[in-house]
Amino acid sequence: MSNAIKQSGAYLEIVSFHLAEQEFCIDIMAIREIRGWAPVTPMPHTPPYVLGLINLRGAVIPVIDMACRLGMNMTEPSERAAIIVTDIAGKLVGLLVEQVSDMMTIRGEDLQPAPEIIPEEQRAFCRGIVALEKSMVCFLNLDTVIADELAQAA
Amino acid sequence: MLNFISGQSLSVRQRLMTLGVAAVVGIGSMLGVGWYQNAGLDSALRRAVQMKADVERVNEMQLANANLVLAAMDTIIDRSEGAIQPERIAIIDTAVNLLAAGSSTLKSIANEAGAASEVATYDDDLKAVAGAIQIDLKRLVENGAAEEDYAAIDDAIDGAGERLGNVLSKIATLGGKEVEERVGEATARSRSALSVQLSLGGIAFVLVVLLQLIHGNSIANGIRSVRASMQRIVDGDYDSEVEGTDRQDEIGGMARSTDIFRRAAIEKRDLETSTRDTNRQNEAERESRTAAMEADTRALKLAVDALGGGLMQLSEGDLCAEIRGPFPADLERLRNDFNQVTLHLRTVMGEIAANSSSIRANGQQMRSAADDLARRTEQQAASLEETSAALSEITATVQSATHRAEEASHMVDDARDFTEKSGLVVNDAMAAMERIEDATGEIGKIINVIDEIAFQTNLLALNAGVEAARAGDAGKGFAVVAQEVRALAGRAAEAARDIKSLVGRSSEEVKTGVELVTATGDALHRIGEDVLRINEHVKAIVTSAREQSVGLSEINSAVGQMDQVTQQNAAMVEQTNAASHTLAGDAENLSRLVGQFQVGSDQPVAAYRPEPAQVASKPRPSPAKALIEKVAGTFNRTTPASSSNAAVAEHWEEF
Repeated sequence: MSNAIKQSGAYLEIVSFHLAEQEFCIDIMAIREIRGWAPVTPMPHTPPYVLGLINLRGAVIPVIDMACRLGMNMTEPSERAAIIVTDIAGKLVGLLVEQVSDMMTIRGEDLQPAPEIIPEEQRAFCRGIVALEKSMVCFLNLDTVIADELAQAA
Repeated sequence: MLNFISGQSLSVRQRLMTLGVAAVVGIGSMLGVGWYQNAGLDSALRRAVQMKADVERVNEMQLANANLVLAAMDTIIDRSEGAIQPERIAIIDTAVNLLAAGSSTLKSIANEAGAASEVATYDDDLKAVAGAIQIDLKRLVENGAAEEDYAAIDDAIDGAGERLGNVLSKIATLGGKEVEERVGEATARSRSALSVQLSLGGIAFVLVVLLQLIHGNSIANGIRSVRASMQRIVDGDYDSEVEGTDRQDEIGGMARSTDIFRRAAIEKRDLETSTRDTNRQNEAERESRTAAMEADTRALKLAVDALGGGLMQLSEGDLCAEIRGPFPADLERLRNDFNQVTLHLRTVMGEIAANSSSIRANGQQMRSAADDLARRTEQQAASLEETSAALSEITATVQSATHRAEEASHMVDDARDFTEKSGLVVNDAMAAMERIEDATGEIGKIINVIDEIAFQTNLLALNAGVEAARAGDAGKGFAVVAQEVRALAGRAAEAARDIKSLVGRSSEEVKTGVELVTATGDALHRIGEDVLRINEHVKAIVTSAREQSVGLSEINSAVGQMDQVTQQNAAMVEQTNAASHTLAGDAENLSRLVGQFQVGSDQPVAAYRPEPAQVASKPRPSPAKALIEKVAGTFNRTTPASSSNAAVAEHWEEF
């Protein structure tokens, strides 16, 4: 897929968000909808980062706390919190983020690979680092993050 | 007793009384004895008459007994008739009744005569006779009994009748004897009564005669002795005592009066004798005195001449005059006295001279002192007038202070009202602040809503961007619009955040304002309390100022009285001044007059030195001045009164 990006080449549209003072971003094409935080219905026998289920216009989708999933503390949902509904491998999954910060268009070459000192397994989360003027944004590989889980669940 | 009667302790009246009492007792005892004896005689005669009647009755009974027996005999004789004749029955009944009735009489006679045994069988005999005659005989006669029965009854009747007759005759004889005894007894009693009466009369007569003799002698002797004493006094014999003065009766009183006459006569005789002696003595004295007087006259003339000379010297003011020649012995004292008088006069005149010079010096000092006093009194009067004026001004000042204090009280009242109103305003301000706070809260809520809207818009813009991106190239324009909308939403959110922070600050400010207003309210409350206290103080000041005003008016009247008194003092000082001037002149006159006497050079004249004024006469600080200084110090204001006070003080310091 990264190759596809590089090949298509010129521009890449991303949506960036905050997780515990860190900024992450995902590909806009994976997003189906962004909605404000609403309480979720918890599910038994799920990992801690699976918060529960929500009703999205009749469809029941799971909600994952991204911060917890990425090994950080649990997110405290606030008014600014949002659920980014993503389409990962044909499955709708809600991602709880602290705040949606921006929607931007970057060039393909702006996306740099993550440093290799990080182990492979962990590096798989990250498709690359977007270096902006003021900050660095981690481009998350949703397929890795979510698809593994889905596979494990399966 | 005889002594008592014949003695001299009884008065004439008592003597006559004893005579009368003796006569009355004698006659009374005679009468009493006569009456007693007469009563005894009377009862004895009455008993004799009674006894005589009883004896006659017994005689009647004898007759009845005889009749009874006779009637019985007759009945026996006439027994053939077969019945007793009625007249005989009547005789028999009468006789029996008479005999039965006389039984008690018979017994009483027998008892008196001491022959009671004689009549013991009387009643039985009478009963037997009566029974024999009235029952047996009657039965015999009526039954026509045998001859023997008649003989027996005849014997019985005869025997009993005879016994009865014997008894009756014996008792009759005894009764006759008793009657004779009674008569004899009465006769003896009357004889003894006469003899007792006679003897009593004799005793009484003798007693009266005896008393008459004793009392008559006593009275007659007393009167005779008194008459003899009077006769002696008339004859001039005063020395012999009057007899009978120790008697207790009227004669004794006469004797004592006579004795008083006698003593008066003796005193009169003694007085005449002594008067004669005195006259003789006086005559002798007069002659010897005439001789002595002629000698004395000569000596007296010499003495009078010498005395005249001395007195002449004295009249010329020479107090050194002295009489040296000897005087007659009895006039020597006069010379000594004269010398003594002149000596004394010298001494006294010397002292008078000394004192008059002292008086003159004192008079002069008094004159100058009185002048000073007059001058100072005038100054004092002037000062008092100034004091009075100053006090009036102080009074006015105090009154104005009172007015001001009252105004201050009113102002404090107003201030209190304002404070209360300010408290209300502060409360209103606090309420307004609270309302602002509430409004701020509302604004915050609205801003939150705006913020929320901005967030939702942002989300919508993001979603729009997502859709535009998914649309590919067809959505590029839409993506731009979505971007713009997102920017707008971001600005709105930013603006809302700014407003929020502003509102937050405003809310803080409002909170501070509320605190400040609360503090202001507290301060105003405290100010109100302070104002109340100030009001109390000001009222106290007003009260004290009024009291001061009253006190000052009293001081003012006191000063007025002082002024009046000082005016009177000034008048009096004028009089004193004139008097002291006169006194000084008189003292000088006196010195001059005393200087005319020659008192010799050896008399010390004590010159008087006027003494300097004592400490007590120095001026003392005036209490009025101290008061005014105090009042002036209290108000501490520059008024005309203070300057006049100063002037007054200066005047007073001169004293």
